[in-house]
Amino acid sequence: MNLSALLKRTLVLGAALAVAIVVIGGIIGFTVAGAPGFVGAAIGAVVAAVFLGLTAVSIILAVRATGGDMLKPAFFGIVLGGWMVKFVAFLVLVLTLRSADWLNPVAFFFAVVAAVIGSLAIDVYVFATSRMPYVDAKLPPSSAESDLPPTA
Amino acid sequence: MDTTVVAELTGNIATVGYGLAAIGPAIGVGIVVGKTIESVARQPELQGRLQTLMFLGIAFTEALAFIGIATYFIFTN
Repeated sequence: MNLSALLKRTLVLGAALAVAIVVIGGIIGFTVAGAPGFVGAAIGAVVAAVFLGLTAVSIILAVRATGGDMLKPAFFGIVLGGWMVKFVAFLVLVLTLRSADWLNPVAFFFAVVAAVIGSLAIDVYVFATSRMPYVDAKLPPSSAESDLPPTA
Repeated sequence: MDTTVVAELTGNIATVGYGLAAIGPAIGVGIVVGKTIESVARQPELQGRLQTLMFLGIAFTEALAFIGIATYFIFTN
């Protein structure tokens, strides 16, 4: 199992978590603050899941672009450049949504916190239960694939 | 006796929070990435595992930044 496969798994589980928080947070938000509470919780969960997922996506793209060679500058250009752009976008989004009256800011905040902590838990779970090889070495072809004639 | 205003602050002090929220994660990600480069330079064969750990490090660091920026929503006024 390689890094890209693991990251794809965190993306899938992260999306499932976002849906769960939209449902649960939406119900709580609607009960406490009405329609703005529901919208706030839903947007908060989706925003946090998307922005955290972008890190995984940027690493998948970087691995694909560099062929897995981390010491190529393009790897860190994509990962860290993506990180910076993402934070500027998040800041602009927060400033835009702050003045919206159709959104409950407290519900938004708690949904973001829940989604962030939940996606961290998912990341740790996926990586802790993965089976990564200690050493990335090219193995010699197995006897079935090799060009040598069979010995027996 | 009249009170003299020595310093006055207008606007919202909460915006300073973004600056504070950005300092820690910026240093954190710098350390995570720098140490990963160092480690890969020393032992390139561990690259796969180091990439995984680097992702976890970045994820935890950026979580703080996200929560820090999102506090703008509840700490205003």
